[in-house]
Amino acid sequence: MSGLEEFRDELETCFGTSCGFCERGCPVYQAMKIKTLCMKGRNRTMLGLLQGKFEISPAVVQAAFECTLCGNCDRWCSLKNTEHTRAFREYLMKHGVEPMKEHSSILLSIKNYGNPWFQPRSARNRWSRGLNLPKAAPGQQDVLFFAGCTSAVTKQLNKGLVASAKLLQKAGVKFAIMGQDEPCCGSTLLRVGQTDAFKELSEENIKKLEALGIKKIVTACPGCYTTLKKALEESGSKIKVEHISQEIARLVKQGKLKLKKSSERMTYHDPCHLGRLGGVFEEPRDIVKAVANLIEMPNNRYESRCCGAGAGLQSAFPKLSKDLAAKRVAEAKATGATTIVTSCPFCETQLRTVPGIKVMDLLELLLDAVESGEKGNGQRNEKAG
Amino acid sequence: MSYTEELIAALGKEKVLLDPSEMFVYGADWSPRTPDEFVPPDVVVLPRTTRDVQRIVKIAYQHEVPVTAGGGLTGMLGGAVPIYGGIYVDTTTMNSIVEVDQRNQTVRVQAGATLQEVNDAVQPYDLWLPHQPESKWVSTVGAAIACDNDSTFGVRYGKILNCLLSAEIVTGTGEILELGHRKAHFTSSGYKLKDLLAGSEGTLGIITEATLKLEPIPASRKVDMLVFPRMGAAVDYLSRLLKAGLCLEAAHINCKRRLKFYTHSYRLKYGKDPEIPAWAEALLAIAFAGDAEVVDTQRAYALKLAKDFEGQLVEEREIVESWWASKYTLDFEPFKQKWPESQKQKKFGAADPGIPVGRLEEFYHKFIETAEKKNLEILGMNAYLEHPNSIGFSLSCAVFVDYRNPDEVKRFREFHDELSKLAVAFEGTMSTFMSDTYQKAPYLEVEHGPSLKYMREVKRIFDPKGILNPGKKFPKGANKK
Repeated sequence: MSGLEEFRDELETCFGTSCGFCERGCPVYQAMKIKTLCMKGRNRTMLGLLQGKFEISPAVVQAAFECTLCGNCDRWCSLKNTEHTRAFREYLMKHGVEPMKEHSSILLSIKNYGNPWFQPRSARNRWSRGLNLPKAAPGQQDVLFFAGCTSAVTKQLNKGLVASAKLLQKAGVKFAIMGQDEPCCGSTLLRVGQTDAFKELSEENIKKLEALGIKKIVTACPGCYTTLKKALEESGSKIKVEHISQEIARLVKQGKLKLKKSSERMTYHDPCHLGRLGGVFEEPRDIVKAVANLIEMPNNRYESRCCGAGAGLQSAFPKLSKDLAAKRVAEAKATGATTIVTSCPFCETQLRTVPGIKVMDLLELLLDAVESGEKGNGQRNEKAG
Repeated sequence: MSYTEELIAALGKEKVLLDPSEMFVYGADWSPRTPDEFVPPDVVVLPRTTRDVQRIVKIAYQHEVPVTAGGGLTGMLGGAVPIYGGIYVDTTTMNSIVEVDQRNQTVRVQAGATLQEVNDAVQPYDLWLPHQPESKWVSTVGAAIACDNDSTFGVRYGKILNCLLSAEIVTGTGEILELGHRKAHFTSSGYKLKDLLAGSEGTLGIITEATLKLEPIPASRKVDMLVFPRMGAAVDYLSRLLKAGLCLEAAHINCKRRLKFYTHSYRLKYGKDPEIPAWAEALLAIAFAGDAEVVDTQRAYALKLAKDFEGQLVEEREIVESWWASKYTLDFEPFKQKWPESQKQKKFGAADPGIPVGRLEEFYHKFIETAEKKNLEILGMNAYLEHPNSIGFSLSCAVFVDYRNPDEVKRFREFHDELSKLAVAFEGTMSTFMSDTYQKAPYLEVEHGPSLKYMREVKRIFDPKGILNPGKKFPKGANKK
């Protein structure tokens, strides 16, 4: 992971170019219209700081943290802007800036409870009760289903995990879970500039996962997906990481799930970590198309707009975060869709804060269609798509 | 009270930025300036309404503080950077679409709306604003007027002034004025004060709203590229197309070197530069737009005429599409946009002269000669046709400049000045899309002669204390009695 100084050439390039193409899709800039809060301005702030043009100030800290790291700026650029911002946060932490109080509590929770939500470790067991899922043990399984902290310890989000597990079971996939031993992937630590704490946690995680002898991790959380994938790849591990939508879309395509398709208009919201940052766009859409009538929002796939929950924005800048959610929901409503389908616990929670449209987890949607199919009205999905 | 305290009292704290880090962000555009030349503003204001702008200017007038208005800060010659500090007015916070009048094909917008935001708003009505610089995602309506920048479709629709029906400004005394002719396309009444705004660089007033003429969106478009052994042959060919009665939508002549700047996506795809015949010195890109049948007929006729001028069609569509992506669609592969790629080491620096129809080739050689003499890396020349249905050239004579090297910046400035003055000697003009800024201010008399004193008088009427973007067009204080 590069420090800010290592991006100096890129910062100079941005300063020299000043095209501002990052402004158009930046949700924060479009809401605030303050140039320090778009990537062009943020790159300039970092450069000025490295050049000693000014000292660290509250405005500098705001420029660093008032960003969801959604990666929309990267889509329009050849510079690694999201990485610059992450390194900017790390730089500030290393230069005496105290973590924001909202972020401090998250860090404390991860340290003490193994999740960012102050929930006891045992809360991770709740979602899988009654499903009869094997617990991962060394050499006993090839596939690990990695629930992710947020869905596992938040009651309202448990349904998505249950749906994922049931669908895997129905399609005959053999897998195990870690239950309360499942660690936090550390994504939040990384995004709020706690790089050392992240590295420490990540190294422990890799050892733990390697010790299980697994070949593949299937996770329900896009943040875990990008974080674990990158960490394992960088460590040279042979463990593959997939998002649940990739695994399930393949099973749907193979005809392993009998389902019922409806004509209901639904739109799909790409989570930033899964889509733009993870490159997974089509598999979730294949699932929606198999069970409903998919209507795209104008900003979709690479151009998808962030829901406003990411990278600590939701906790530290709640009003702005909610404004971004409202914008995204307005875009969804304008399509005439009845439902926003998404595949990220953060997006799901965030979009639900705006009334007026149903928000549904991708796997819950599919499980409903499969259960309807099993009642006798279904068709093999290869005919349905 | 200090003027910053007055600004806070008048606008509210949230619309006034004062932190040095924020000043650093708002103090630079795309122009090659050395770090030593960098002068940040003292305060940045974020107005939402014309009244806000009026309050700002009245405070500045009272305290005699410079006021510089800007948009996307993508200017290539420092037009909107506040070289004497003072107040920077970020107009991008004023980006509302006030009215779309479908029947009369006009739109009223706040001046901080980007050209793309305007087009996003009018596209559902099957209308578009054809003023389309490459910076359209960021370039605002106000900046397009004040800078008088270029447009890809100039040969059919002209530049922003051809679209501008009326504009609201706040003068240097804080008076709000509407200049123009409402929704009528032209007028013979009075003096055309509205036209003074094109290229005015915010020195007469801060543009706060504008009424723009829209056009129906053409149903189809075809873009082609032809190569010619000489620039002059491409010019003769264009002249023949216009004589034939063809309606070109876009026409751009690139020198061979310039093509590389526009074919980033080709290089990404194939890992090499596009190949064009060794004999080809000029590349002409043309577009026709309208109903498919009309486009096909016009295109076929145009291509048939090419052989009379030793022109040859570029058959490899990837070259054409790569150029067009760079010029118009901006449809770059994700994470691979061209600008940073082309400017990893150095900035893009250009002179922007306009020269008469018959002297393009001659001027091109002067450009190369001057750039070589100044020891600057040549990026190439692009001649845009920017006047409706005629061969009116706007030249971008571009070089790379390392802005961290003061000697190279100095040589670039000398290059720019030499070409600007040479254009006048060629019976042309010094500027066609970047305006004068501080760069040409010291020698504007070369272009305008004794009429310059009338321009100073005009400036004095609109801005008696010389607070609006001082140092641009005229050296600071030049308009004061």
